[in-house]
Amino acid sequence: MKEKRALSGTTKIVMIFLGLIIYSGLVLPLAMSAGSKPSETKGRYYFRQNCKTCHTKGAVGGEITPLTRTQAQWKLYFTTAKHNRRSEPLSKVMSDDQVRDVAAYLDAHAADSPQPETCGK
Amino acid sequence: MNRRRFLKFSAGGAAGAAALATSAAYFAPFQKKQAIASGLQEIPTTCEMCVNKCSVIAVVNNGVIQKLNPNPENPRSRGMVCARGNAGLQEVYDSARLKRPLIRVGARGEGKWRPATWDEAFDFAAQKLSAVKEKFGPQGSLWSSSESFQEVFFQNLGLSFGSPNTVRHATLCLASVNLAYSATFGTVPSFDLLNSKYIIMSGANRLESFITPDTMDLVGSTTDRKARLIYLDPRFTVTASKADEWYPIKPGTDLAFILAMLNVIVGENRYDKEFVATYTTGFEQLADHIKQYTPEWAEKETEIPAKDIARVAREFSDAAPRAVYYAGRRSSWYQNDFQMRRAQAILNAIVGNWDRQGGMVPNAHVELGEYLFLPWDDPAAPRVDELDKNFPLAAKGDGAYLKLRENVLAGTPYPVKAWMIHKQDPMNALPDQAKTIRMLGQMDFVGVIDIQMSDTAWYADVVFPESSYLERQDPVGVLPGIWPVVVYRQPVIKPIHDTKTTLEIVQGLAKRLNLSQYFDYTIDQWVDAQVKTLPLDIPLEHLKKHGTYFPSGFPKYGTTLTPDHRFVTKSGKIELFSERLQETNYEPLPVYHPPAQPTAGKFRLILGRKAYFTHANTTNNPWLNSFAPENRLWLHPSSAQSVGVADGDRVEVTSSAGSIRIKVAVKQEIRPDCAFMLHGFGKRSKWQRLVADVGASDAQLLETSWDKVSGNAALHETFVKVVRV
Repeated sequence: MKEKRALSGTTKIVMIFLGLIIYSGLVLPLAMSAGSKPSETKGRYYFRQNCKTCHTKGAVGGEITPLTRTQAQWKLYFTTAKHNRRSEPLSKVMSDDQVRDVAAYLDAHAADSPQPETCGK
Repeated sequence: MNRRRFLKFSAGGAAGAAALATSAAYFAPFQKKQAIASGLQEIPTTCEMCVNKCSVIAVVNNGVIQKLNPNPENPRSRGMVCARGNAGLQEVYDSARLKRPLIRVGARGEGKWRPATWDEAFDFAAQKLSAVKEKFGPQGSLWSSSESFQEVFFQNLGLSFGSPNTVRHATLCLASVNLAYSATFGTVPSFDLLNSKYIIMSGANRLESFITPDTMDLVGSTTDRKARLIYLDPRFTVTASKADEWYPIKPGTDLAFILAMLNVIVGENRYDKEFVATYTTGFEQLADHIKQYTPEWAEKETEIPAKDIARVAREFSDAAPRAVYYAGRRSSWYQNDFQMRRAQAILNAIVGNWDRQGGMVPNAHVELGEYLFLPWDDPAAPRVDELDKNFPLAAKGDGAYLKLRENVLAGTPYPVKAWMIHKQDPMNALPDQAKTIRMLGQMDFVGVIDIQMSDTAWYADVVFPESSYLERQDPVGVLPGIWPVVVYRQPVIKPIHDTKTTLEIVQGLAKRLNLSQYFDYTIDQWVDAQVKTLPLDIPLEHLKKHGTYFPSGFPKYGTTLTPDHRFVTKSGKIELFSERLQETNYEPLPVYHPPAQPTAGKFRLILGRKAYFTHANTTNNPWLNSFAPENRLWLHPSSAQSVGVADGDRVEVTSSAGSIRIKVAVKQEIRPDCAFMLHGFGKRSKWQRLVADVGASDAQLLETSWDKVSGNAALHETFVKVVRV
């Protein structure tokens, strides 16, 4: 009985270990990806790096700033997640995480978002 | 230029600042080559003696700055340099400036230091910051700063370190104004004082406390163009002396005055109906709301006659759109400051002065490029001041300084144990100095970057000496406004001591904190990226030669006056009634609540500035100090009699925050229920030799109090007892 119980304990440990590996390798990244907060700081960077090349005044895509749309309009835009007159998915320009960060940045600075001005900036 | 020549040039004595500014410099701009002998260099750059950033030209002889002249090419500077601008030389040549890194060897505040190499200072600070991070997380560090062109590098160091706790000077400054105008118009406009015909000011003592080119617009308006100036202030200031009408308003009741003006203008159909209908929302709620606030009611609150309130309201609406209730450049005085500013904004809106000549004009900008640096992960922890909970509408990156200090002292929601401070003096800038000293005492580490041994530096563990503004290159700055201007600050001499720029100090620390990847650029790369969008053939060469650039075609009026224009507000209109305020449990229209009044035997402490001094920063500048070497406590003759003191007697002044000893100045020019003192004296740092233990510091008396919506420090909410000693 004692041996059986010991064997059973070892099996449990192995199972828990394997379970942790599977969890940390597969489940955890998904959970983190779904639950982690989008970054406005990174969104601003990706917007400037990826979007502003075409979306400045006089450029091919026309000027786009966060103020171009309201929060609801940005939300709608990112629901379809397509650009270039809806001819291609945004994933062609940026990764999904980058799109999520850019969406957070644009939402936070949209035309109807609260964004009080400050001193000396 | 020696001190004697300086005084002569500045028209001498206490009137120097104003006299200099009103001199021929404004009305007949400085001629660039006038003062230049052969062999001298003229190098354009940008002043840093206050926030205004005027363009100046340094006259340099063999690596020594001889003089700072105005730069006539910057329309915003109006060809003037004020007393402070002239005294900028002392920032470089004052023997008391910080000359090398210092590490504390005595107790905090004891003033014992040892010189250190830069490597020693960086290693010491990085080790302390890392230890705090290890024990308390990155949120255990606080990064505070005031505005300057290199502030961005310092803030980015704090953010890349992982701290959510960057706190700027805004809640000691204009946060209530900025928030109120942003909530109403979606932006903070400029006031076209140059073309106004009717100007009302609550407090903002522009002709005495802050002599800049836009002060000269006000002078021009009231003298040359005969605009009317209506001025409300418990003191008879220099501005009061130049006003057409001065009302010694009962402190804290300005909101009642404005609400009664609204009552008259709406009740008598004197508002701009077309403008209100086209561009605003919430007028019906406003009209209902202000029916209760009659001039007769306001007379009882403000002690200003009802007939005068009604007349001023009528004159104001008659003069519109060239009429402004001027926000001015002053901080919050009372806990209702946001709502008082909202009422000003609403009053300006309904007379239709928005985007009109002589009214309020949305600021024009010049688009600069941007150096793209690697972004870091956003901080995981919430802010220590719990801004989202306490001040949900406040500017996120600025924080709320006094609430932050309360939470840090209480250790909630988590401990903060390291404090890095960039060109700011919380010891004097924050009310209730005893609390600031306690907060400093709670820290495992305090590091200060500055050019002088401020009172806060005096309590630091390590002091990093920054190169002065005349010794360094900064990022290019844009001054938005009615005349948007780009200004360039370049070194006019090499650093004369062992100092560094903020970027170099940040990079030195970043290297040791393993954050170099976020600061892997030079100031030249940063500036190049900024200027490449300017419509100039060789932008940087232009800025080096001229010190400034401004696009043609300004001022422009009416660019937002199209029915389809969307204001940056929730509704897209100018919001007289604010749904956003209502949603966040604030009053959606300004509601008057009578302010507390001093009990018998006590006085309301009120503060002020002189134009020679930038807050507490330049009182130790020898040239400027000579204009006002000591502060005194103003008391009305009847108050002095009740206390039993005469002019020059010493008194002890006590509040719940602390007590000071100071000489009395008996003055007719103040209400009997108030006591006044000038800011910036009674320093603790012995290196501030001209003001150390000279006069007294208001920060030792002021109690902790803030505006309820913006979190801005409320500086006139302290009652003091005065006794003879």
